Amino acid sequence: MSRYETNVVLYRLKKDAAFRERFRTDPMNALADVDLSDEEREAFARWDARRLNELGGMLHLLISIPGLGGH
Amino acid sequence: MGRIVYAAAMSHVLYPDYYGDNVGPHGRRMVEALIAVVREMGATLAAAAPDALVVIADDHLNVFSFDAVPAFCVRVGRSVNRMVQADAIEFDRALDGLPERYPVHEDLANSILEKGMQSGFDFAASWSAPLDHAFLSPVSTLYGNRPVPPLVPVWVNCFVAPQPTAQRCYAVGRHLARVVTEGPWNVAVIATGGLSHFPELSLARIGQSDPVFDRRLVKWMEAADHDALAALTAKELHETGSHELLNWLVLLGAVSPARATVRFFGEMGRVDLAALEWSVT
Repeated sequence: MSRYETNVVLYRLKKDAAFRERFRTDPMNALADVDLSDEEREAFARWDARRLNELGGMLHLLISIPGLGGH
Repeated sequence: MGRIVYAAAMSHVLYPDYYGDNVGPHGRRMVEALIAVVREMGATLAAAAPDALVVIADDHLNVFSFDAVPAFCVRVGRSVNRMVQADAIEFDRALDGLPERYPVHEDLANSILEKGMQSGFDFAASWSAPLDHAFLSPVSTLYGNRPVPPLVPVWVNCFVAPQPTAQRCYAVGRHLARVVTEGPWNVAVIATGGLSHFPELSLARIGQSDPVFDRRLVKWMEAADHDALAALTAKELHETGSHELLNWLVLLGAVSPARATVRFFGEMGRVDLAALEWSVT
């Protein structure tokens, strides 16, 4: 279930500049209301793109988030 | 009676800086060589003077969102905008400076949609989806400064599982061929993307392609062995990183039984680049 949430967060990071800025400033706070597992939340917090990909995060989102993409 | 007057398929990141940055000078040189070939193909395409250009490509969760991911989507309406992004990803920097709006061939787009619904192809329709590099990098390279004919953009869901099957994409291409035959227009068709890259859509495997698989695909296209191509499984496409071949399968259905001529084939490592033309006239 939270694989969907993971991708929704990635999509918001790609498309929503204000959310992206909140995430950069304080990722745990930005994700406080999102239904993620602890492992997913921690992978976001340390921006472990490979782990997020292994957990079901879509490649094309992971490589296209401004300022966080790249590979 | 309408007919397909030109058909081709090609890789769709026709942007030297991307490969220069991510692969190095060898990648840059290879894509520059591909671009030179695509420009030559564009001269042939323009000389065929199509009334409409159908472009079959995929979305990279750039245009569509998790609100809905259509298996196949026909862009209808009168015009289509180039996608504008405040923070364009590197592929889409190729779009900077291109025209902001392109005409849509409304009658052909509506025919594909309506006749599809009548004959079992339940296309999604979009009146507002814009075009990103998957469409406009090839179109702009083919046409250069020449006027671009009215477009019919068709999206195929290549990346969000579950994707349509290769067989289904091929059948959509057969449908496209029937619509063209029943209409009054001379139509060009291009499919974009590929060849193999991003195997299993795994971040850890970026940088790998599957040249053995790609050589086999190209041989099948040269020999018009479309049954073999349409029988490819989702597992084969996923494991080799051939997701975007689904776009090519629509084109193959449209041009069958025509044989392909390879205009460019290059094994870069990160991706295998290709450009093929079909003898449709």
